[in-house]
Amino acid sequence: MVYEQLMGNLIQGLILGGIYGMATMGLSLIFGTLKVVNVGHGQFIMVGAFITLWMFNALGIDPVVAIPVAFLVGILLGFICYYTFVRRLRKGPAFASLLATFSVGIILEETVRLIFGSEFRGYNWTLGKVRIPFTVIPYTKLIAFSGSILIAVLLYLWFKKSRAGTALRSVVEDSLGAQVCGVNVDWQYALSFSLGIGLTVASGALLTMFIPVGINPNMGGQYTLKAFVIAVLGGLASPYGAFFGGLVFGLIENGSYTLLALLPDVEPFALTRFLSFVILLAILLIRPTGLIRTK
Amino acid sequence: MNNTVKKYLPLFPVLAGYFLLFLVGKNMEGKWQLIAMLAFYCAVGQAFNLFMGMTGYVDFGYVAFLGVGTYGMAIAISRWSDQGLGLGLLVIGLLMAIGMATLLSLAVGAVALRLRGAYFAIATIGVNEGFRYLIEGARLWNGSEGIIFTAQLNTAFGRDFANVLSTYWADVALFFIAPFAAFLTLCFLRSRIGYALTAIRTDEDAAKVMGINVTRYKIIAFIVSASLAGMIGAVSWALKLTYVFPPDVFAISYTIEAIIIVLLGGAGTLLGPIVGGLIYGLSKYYLAVILPGFQLLIFAPIIIVIIVLFPEGTVGVLKKRVQGTAWEKIIV
Repeated sequence: MVYEQLMGNLIQGLILGGIYGMATMGLSLIFGTLKVVNVGHGQFIMVGAFITLWMFNALGIDPVVAIPVAFLVGILLGFICYYTFVRRLRKGPAFASLLATFSVGIILEETVRLIFGSEFRGYNWTLGKVRIPFTVIPYTKLIAFSGSILIAVLLYLWFKKSRAGTALRSVVEDSLGAQVCGVNVDWQYALSFSLGIGLTVASGALLTMFIPVGINPNMGGQYTLKAFVIAVLGGLASPYGAFFGGLVFGLIENGSYTLLALLPDVEPFALTRFLSFVILLAILLIRPTGLIRTK
Repeated sequence: MNNTVKKYLPLFPVLAGYFLLFLVGKNMEGKWQLIAMLAFYCAVGQAFNLFMGMTGYVDFGYVAFLGVGTYGMAIAISRWSDQGLGLGLLVIGLLMAIGMATLLSLAVGAVALRLRGAYFAIATIGVNEGFRYLIEGARLWNGSEGIIFTAQLNTAFGRDFANVLSTYWADVALFFIAPFAAFLTLCFLRSRIGYALTAIRTDEDAAKVMGINVTRYKIIAFIVSASLAGMIGAVSWALKLTYVFPPDVFAISYTIEAIIIVLLGGAGTLLGPIVGGLIYGLSKYYLAVILPGFQLLIFAPIIIVIIVLFPEGTVGVLKKRVQGTAWEKIIV
């Protein structure tokens, strides 16, 4: 009984983990290139969720279409943020960019609250369910999962094969050397920042398929914290590491809910979060380069 | 001029500032709440500055120390209210608050102070959230239900005194803690520790090479700052509100407020936190009156502008201006 439940939850966790991974790639991409931690990360996810919600409820457009729209909105937000302040703070002390991105998160949260109000919202998009061993999965979740894998693969190919991706990698490796070779370093930073934000906002659209009624202006904070744990699992500076970190985190999270629920007199959800921060600290101490070797 | 007087001269504007603040609160009708809030912000800024301002490390989980301080006082009062300890109970509560904050800071310091920059910030956020979810998840100290000890406070001190304690004396205590933190800041600035910490802030590796025991000085600053935070939590959250809930006392927004105050005033300066605390507290209060519901939306862009344009803060700019004049001795 417990075994079946555990297996079922682990499968669900793996699928959710795919979304988590994609939702963290933007954070890692930005940290990897600019050395800026986006503390407003979760709020960008929230923006993506609201774009999807609004498009579905007000315009009747499928959430699948909302993914590229959210991506473009994110790119735009990313460029605005980069050219207004991120550019100036990139070389400053760590707290400056931390505080600035946190403030951006507040601005997004308050703006969305002003437009939509602060109650919990949701939308109802159902396509039926598929029965697999141990559990039942709605098709919408499968679409989100395959969408996030597709995006991760596309990002990988863009990085490794395209000219722009090569230029970006050269900046990460040695920005001065890249500059000497004629790469417009500032533009590469702008591009990777807005790409990171674009991915994050797009992941918000995917995430809505997992939280049918949990869309709310304050939902961002918890995803920032989860993204930190996931990014650290993957080594903080590597987007692919983050993707695998997300899969691992999804498994850990759902596995530990199920197992901790067996213990008497504890709250399994809160204790799971505690566990995730213990993992975060342990990895930062023992293997700050992350669980997965990238090179 | 006598050497000791000269050494502690910069403390006078700070003390005068707090005294003036207290007088305003005492004599102006209906302004005590505002003054208490300002004193809270100044005190938190003063305590936080001791670590963040001096070392340049941004502790994003600072509020955890206020939180455990609150728990220290709450546990003391809810457990031993019927022992007839009188005012000794408050002393025990305060000692427990300081002790618990110190213990937590030792544990955090051992882990997080090995890391730098963004890694340090993420680790400290992790500690804050982790500790909160440990309390809720393992049902430590009553878990997510928190501790409400209004009744115990009444049995220990009588209804009247308990009332005065939480509406008046809890705030007055801040007027002792904040100047004490300022005094410690000056002691740091005027001693070996301060020079070592300045060296660490400027270039930690160089400081290490020069033979400074960087870990030791960082830990000292961390613990002192944390225990002051524990005291602030014990008086202005536990005694004032007479309850404690985990989501309230581990809310990251307080850490952000503390960072903003230190930055507004000028990190690493003595006068900075009181200036920053006053600016922040007053603008928050009056924005809430003028444009209720919009204060965060107005504040956030202002913060970005300040970080981009004036990273040294008010006192930092002032300090540069008065360099070489007689004011130099007072504005530190």
